[in-house]
Amino acid sequence: MELSRRRMLRLGMFGVAGMAMGGTTACSTSASGGSGGDKAMDLWYWADGLSKKVVDEAVTRFTEVELRPQQIGGNFKEKLVTTMSSGGTFIPDITGIKGEDFASFTPQADRFHNLLELGADKLADQYLPWKWKKGMTKDGKLIGFPIDIGPTANFYRRDVFAKAGLPSEPDKVAAQMSTWDDYFAAGVELKKAVPNTFIVSEAWAVYNVAVGQAGARYVDENERFIGDQDHIRKAWDLAVRATQLGINAKTKAGTPDWNAGLAGGTLASLTGASWVAVDIQSAAKDTTGKWGVAAGPGGTANIGGSFLAIPKECQKPDVAFKIISWILSPENQARGFTDSALFPSTPATYTMPALTSPSEFLGGQIPTQVLGPAAQKIPVQYESPNDQAVSAPFAIELGNIEASGKDPNTAWADAVAEAKRVGQRLGVK
Amino acid sequence: MKAAAPRTRRGRRSYWPQYLAISPFFVIFGVFGLFPVLFSLYLAFHRWNGLGEMEFVGLDQFRFLVEDSTFWLALRNTFAIWFMSTVPTLCLALVIAAMLNSAVRFTSVYRIAYFVPNITSLVAVAIFFGAVFSTNFGLVNAFLQAVGLPAAEWLTDPLGMKIAVASVMTWQWTGYNAIIYLAGMQAIPSDLYEAAKVDGAGPVQTFFRITVPMLRPIILFTVIVSTVNGLQSFTESQVLFGSNTTLNPNTGGPGQGALTMVLYFYHQAFDNRDFGYGAAIAWAVFLVIVLFAVINWRLVQRRASE
Repeated sequence: MELSRRRMLRLGMFGVAGMAMGGTTACSTSASGGSGGDKAMDLWYWADGLSKKVVDEAVTRFTEVELRPQQIGGNFKEKLVTTMSSGGTFIPDITGIKGEDFASFTPQADRFHNLLELGADKLADQYLPWKWKKGMTKDGKLIGFPIDIGPTANFYRRDVFAKAGLPSEPDKVAAQMSTWDDYFAAGVELKKAVPNTFIVSEAWAVYNVAVGQAGARYVDENERFIGDQDHIRKAWDLAVRATQLGINAKTKAGTPDWNAGLAGGTLASLTGASWVAVDIQSAAKDTTGKWGVAAGPGGTANIGGSFLAIPKECQKPDVAFKIISWILSPENQARGFTDSALFPSTPATYTMPALTSPSEFLGGQIPTQVLGPAAQKIPVQYESPNDQAVSAPFAIELGNIEASGKDPNTAWADAVAEAKRVGQRLGVK
Repeated sequence: MKAAAPRTRRGRRSYWPQYLAISPFFVIFGVFGLFPVLFSLYLAFHRWNGLGEMEFVGLDQFRFLVEDSTFWLALRNTFAIWFMSTVPTLCLALVIAAMLNSAVRFTSVYRIAYFVPNITSLVAVAIFFGAVFSTNFGLVNAFLQAVGLPAAEWLTDPLGMKIAVASVMTWQWTGYNAIIYLAGMQAIPSDLYEAAKVDGAGPVQTFFRITVPMLRPIILFTVIVSTVNGLQSFTESQVLFGSNTTLNPNTGGPGQGALTMVLYFYHQAFDNRDFGYGAAIAWAVFLVIVLFAVINWRLVQRRASE
């Protein structure tokens, strides 16, 4: 009896020890660890955040370190913040940061290497100036190296436009719908000619692009709230007008109805960023050749587009910088476009073969002819770390107008009041 | 192996193997349960974005919470969804359990079939229901139109959204509760039924006069469990109305009609990286559930003393 109980206990202890070890090994494989010796260099990105082929080539090319790329699934920002706040060896040496999350990292710029000190200043002229500036902090440190951008344009159904008597060739579409007013007028015509067909998918699609076309956002560089001013109100009024004109399909992006609308032709146009073309393609495979892309109404904005950064914990920042500047060189950005539909942040890439070949999905059009010039006209906007939180009430109130017909003026007043309140809690003046 | 320790030694120290044997639970609970609970209380008095310095703000987060209309909306939504899911779930479960109890053939097949939804990945279920309730191409609207009723905007109308979320929860939890009721029913002595039969009671009368009263303690148990589950509902709304637009995810869909308390907490903490406020919301959720538990407990007490 005595002996067998002892043996049981010992087995139990092994079990506990085994569990603990299992825990650590699981960590070092899934979250990457510092256990691979001094040469190990971990690179975190998400699926299609970089061209996998380019990254794989970087592994064999930079042998002075052991580059270990990892695609992190799920909520990337959440995982990066958690890992960085826990400190220690699991922090990646190079990490992607999504464009919409980037501003929220700038207050902690001291947790990243200033890339200008690693030689980035020599490369500045290869990248789009507004994108370069987006990767910088207020005091002029560069912490984010440009991956891709998301210039907006008008993606539209050629066949549906033609059926409604609207122009269907990109140049003519761009000429007739260069302002939001003209675009909405075309929407009214479209709906009249082809019933139950909409030019605007949702109020947010108009609003978000129109805010991006302005010179400023919700909070200025002194962290003062400016979301109640004209530049935001103008964007708001546009979204409201589209809804009041009845040309808003009120269909949220990514929902089954949105997919079906794109496939069926009831959503005849999307004023989205370059990557929207990929979404359309996966939602409506059977519409190959029926789409076109034209310069969008009211100018261009940027939506999305990411960065690579080097956390302070990286022991060999010079090698890390050599790797990211190679991965994101103009030549390799062309491969990023081909492999993962990442629109390059390097204008030199726009004339390379990968970007000048016609797209079958867009009816044989060369999308770069529209998106390339658009990319260079995107306004510089200061994006506060609190921008996202402060913008949420506007999105919510626009949704209220769509969902329950809330009075637009009441909705505006509520959105401004709520944005101010949220901002105040976060330290916006 | 060296000689065993002398058997004569007594006292607390000699019990170490026992303490060691139960320690894994306490270690894991301490690290993943107790510490986060205490830390979140500490967080609720600070402003913290997860990376920078923590800033002590006293009761500011709670003061903001009390005046936060979005939180109160989330609270109302949570109760509405809880009510709309729990009532049909428990009623259906009772009926199904009664039918399972009287089934003659393939009993285990039926039981498994009703339990499968409970162990199906909730994300997959919610995506499936998203398609079922979609406005223009969903199964529900197709059915409504087929019988001549007008289609509804299930995923954009605030009430429709709550119905969609509640039906996901109903679908998932009916089988689970039915199995629990079934276990209770099989414990009811069969002579009661026989006596009822002799007295000439039909199946409906037997159900309401014998089965339901005999199941009362089990029904109360399922009510409490459903309350705790329902007040913490999160995944259903998150997947149905997460929206994959890059800005402002997880705000609970159009008009925030499906924003639940826990989803609001998740949005503040992990989308906005406002961990202090997120922690304050989490503690408010805790208080609401405690309040409910007390009410439940009082009900049970009264029932027991009757």
